[in-house]
Amino acid sequence: MISQRLRYLALTACLAAASNGWASMAENGRRSQTAGIDLITYQTGVRQVVIIVGALPAGDAMAGSDNVAIPTLTGMMLDRGTKTLDKFAIAKQLDDVGAEMSFSVGQQSLEIHARCLRKDLPLVLRLMAAELREPAMQASEFAKARQKFIGTLQESMHNTDERAREAFARAIFPQGHPNRPHSLEELLSAAKSATLEQAQKFHAHYYGPAHMTLVLAGDVPVAEAQASIAKDFAGWSGGQNYIYPAKPATSQGPSTIVVPIKDKPSVSVILGQSTGLRYRDPDALSLRVGTAVLGRGFTGRLMRIVRDKEGLTYNIDAEVTEDSIADGAWDISASFNPSLLDQGLASTRRLLDAWWQDGVTDEELALRKQGILGTYLVSLATTRGIASAILTNVQRGYDLDWLDAYPHMIQALTRDQVNKAIHTHIDPHSMVLIEAGSVSAGGKPAEESAPAAQH
Amino acid sequence: MQEHVTVRGSWRVWLCAAAAGAFGALGASAQGTPGQAAAPPMTVAGYSYVKSLGGIDEYRLDANGLTVLLAADHSAPVVTFQVTYRVGSRNEVTGTTGATHILEHLMFKGSENFNDPKGNSIKQYLERVGGQYNATTSVDRTHYFATVGRDDLEGYVAVEADRMRHLWLREADRKSEMTVVRNEYERGKNDPNSVLFEEVTAAAYMAHPYSHPVIGWKSDIEHVPIAKLHEFYDTFYWPNNATISVVGDIDAAAVLGLIRKYYGAFTRSPQPIPEIYTEEPEQSGPRRVIVRRPGELGTVVIAHKVPNGRDADQPALEMLDDILSSGKNSRLYRALVDQGLALEAEAGTELHRDLSLHLVYATMAPGATHAGVEQALLAEIAKIKSDGVTAEEVERVRRQYAAAEAFKRDGTMAVAREINEWVGIGDWTSYVTFPQQIDGVTAADVQRVARQYLNEEQGTTGWFVPTPQSGEKGS
Repeated sequence: MISQRLRYLALTACLAAASNGWASMAENGRRSQTAGIDLITYQTGVRQVVIIVGALPAGDAMAGSDNVAIPTLTGMMLDRGTKTLDKFAIAKQLDDVGAEMSFSVGQQSLEIHARCLRKDLPLVLRLMAAELREPAMQASEFAKARQKFIGTLQESMHNTDERAREAFARAIFPQGHPNRPHSLEELLSAAKSATLEQAQKFHAHYYGPAHMTLVLAGDVPVAEAQASIAKDFAGWSGGQNYIYPAKPATSQGPSTIVVPIKDKPSVSVILGQSTGLRYRDPDALSLRVGTAVLGRGFTGRLMRIVRDKEGLTYNIDAEVTEDSIADGAWDISASFNPSLLDQGLASTRRLLDAWWQDGVTDEELALRKQGILGTYLVSLATTRGIASAILTNVQRGYDLDWLDAYPHMIQALTRDQVNKAIHTHIDPHSMVLIEAGSVSAGGKPAEESAPAAQH
Repeated sequence: MQEHVTVRGSWRVWLCAAAAGAFGALGASAQGTPGQAAAPPMTVAGYSYVKSLGGIDEYRLDANGLTVLLAADHSAPVVTFQVTYRVGSRNEVTGTTGATHILEHLMFKGSENFNDPKGNSIKQYLERVGGQYNATTSVDRTHYFATVGRDDLEGYVAVEADRMRHLWLREADRKSEMTVVRNEYERGKNDPNSVLFEEVTAAAYMAHPYSHPVIGWKSDIEHVPIAKLHEFYDTFYWPNNATISVVGDIDAAAVLGLIRKYYGAFTRSPQPIPEIYTEEPEQSGPRRVIVRRPGELGTVVIAHKVPNGRDADQPALEMLDDILSSGKNSRLYRALVDQGLALEAEAGTELHRDLSLHLVYATMAPGATHAGVEQALLAEIAKIKSDGVTAEEVERVRRQYAAAEAFKRDGTMAVAREINEWVGIGDWTSYVTFPQQIDGVTAADVQRVARQYLNEEQGTTGWFVPTPQSGEKGS
């Protein structure tokens, strides 16, 4: 185990190096296969604290055709008791040492989050293993989980941002694509008829170490952690891989979808498309940096003009999303008062067209690259930031050396690469526009909501 | 953007100048004191040393009364620099509600020496160096902050200082920013629970300016004249009404020198900073609010006014709230969530400089009734009043706080932001002493404060009653 002093020096050096392009960050990490799990430990300068993040492929995209609510309901059963401890006993053990552990279900992954003191790591790992491997799956708890899920879905029906995001992803990703979410209506209907047996079957098939990643960052006792995981997860087997689509999503052509929701003073808007690109594809990073010029921060073109100069919105940004495992999406998201919607969209499209047609300038690219490297430095200054970055990039297929390579990758990008990526993979004329809120099918302010319309 | 943030588990509500997405993650996951003690107090020209506590050193700039707090944490080569002005929506009156927040927005429009035409505005500088930055307004304070690499600190201090006294305040900027703020207001109104909390707060406070929302009333947002904003700026944006907090990889003497270099030329405010003298009269009976909006699930909230955030009873109230709602073994989880009455149930206090607001609320589960959920919440409060809490419950909360002391050491921004909240409440040392006071709370204290403050006659109860979407059947 390296000393606190050495650990501090190592971290300080490596973070400074990140902006200078010197390799050294990866040296603080260790990667191993432990009990079949892809285990990464990473030392940071924090004392006594360990942050755990992890993932295994058991997300909503893995749902069978019989019931699309089952992946989330299965994830919700994990902290509701194990074969030997009820949920209150587990919570008491965590509460007694101030530790926290939770699970959430995403599109492709069951996500694991925990934090504890260094001394309590064996306890937390033991409870984590028990919850993942042997959830009690009691009928009474399943009924409670189902009721909570139904309530959460009902609330989401009135959230303009969530409805816009759902409609957008369903419009750009075809049936069978792992980034295509189930609709809220589908999930609601499925949750009402979901059974405990379906959850048990899903758990048995998808939960296992085969494609699970666990990242422990902070003041990690590496040998002790490895030994705990080897013991607590010993004998566990199974698990399925992530879904990698054989064919990337392709453009569906231009369309507008209105999601009417009554009595909402602000309309949530998404304008975008599928990209067909995964993060590791050759043009993907160029497209990300080019997109940052258009829509990241106050100095991005969208905020600078649509918000700062024209005062049309509180928030507007552009980003590349959902491309870590499968090919992803590109979008501009914003909110507008219904009466300013047309003006806001016109301004947004004008800037989008100019960006697509003319690309970014040398000055914009240089400034954005410098800013991205600075943000990288700041974002990795917390243990949670480092843990999350490691997990995300392992899911993208990188090793720990990505931590050192990233600044080089950014610095190496040229204006030609960026502009070519924009022009090749983005098409403003084939985008999907989503308007969620109190607007009519024609995009005008509406008093009464109308059925969802597409035109 | 309106968000709830925690001060040691208690709640604060504030508004940001910017959408979080525009500035990257600002999550306040870790809380607490810095990892290493600051350098020992020293004599620095131009400063008076005030005190040290918990690794934080306080200095006063002699020239103008600016307060400086330094907390060294060398675990990573970054620094969070923050300026907290002791002005919030409590300083507003009818016609100027929301002015503090609009002014916060206008603080990003440029200043005499740092602005967009010169290519060195605060946005341009901080995004060029990759800083994480933002500003927020609450009832008691307004703060501006950024986390940057340590080598980029001076550039930020220079820009931040310039806008303290040389801000551009132009009518054209007010006009364009008014619609930005109005959209922020509208986004808040999209959430019926946000409307419910606003109306409950308005009912709970009758005379005190905490009655109106931080973002202001819509008509005031639209019509407040630029002259009023000038007046606000020239009343409150002075060094003697500000506290600078610097957390991270710093050399204390060098940072004090930087602050003196850029802030030292400013004078104290020409007039004393106005004090708020309005006191909330005693509540003479229960108050009720009902919000009807389209939605699916109802909400019940029960609010009580409790002492200011510095009061000696606050740690016991905090203990009470954790016993009520922290984790699966909490009383509200067992009585409401686990029984299928609520999707979630929480208790917490919005800590204020003046009378704070204690809230207990539940998001109703499908099929539950408002009356049933309200009765269940009241029954849990009544049980604590009559039977008290157990030693085991008290010990559980103490242990959680002990662990939180370690968790808070991960990240400079979280530390700075929590210090900022205590500055707004009126005493930054509570950042250090509040957890210590939690350790001294007894079961009897918890029962006492429940009896003393959670009195139904002084409560304000709010229901969000969902109305069906067009074409839907009522629930």
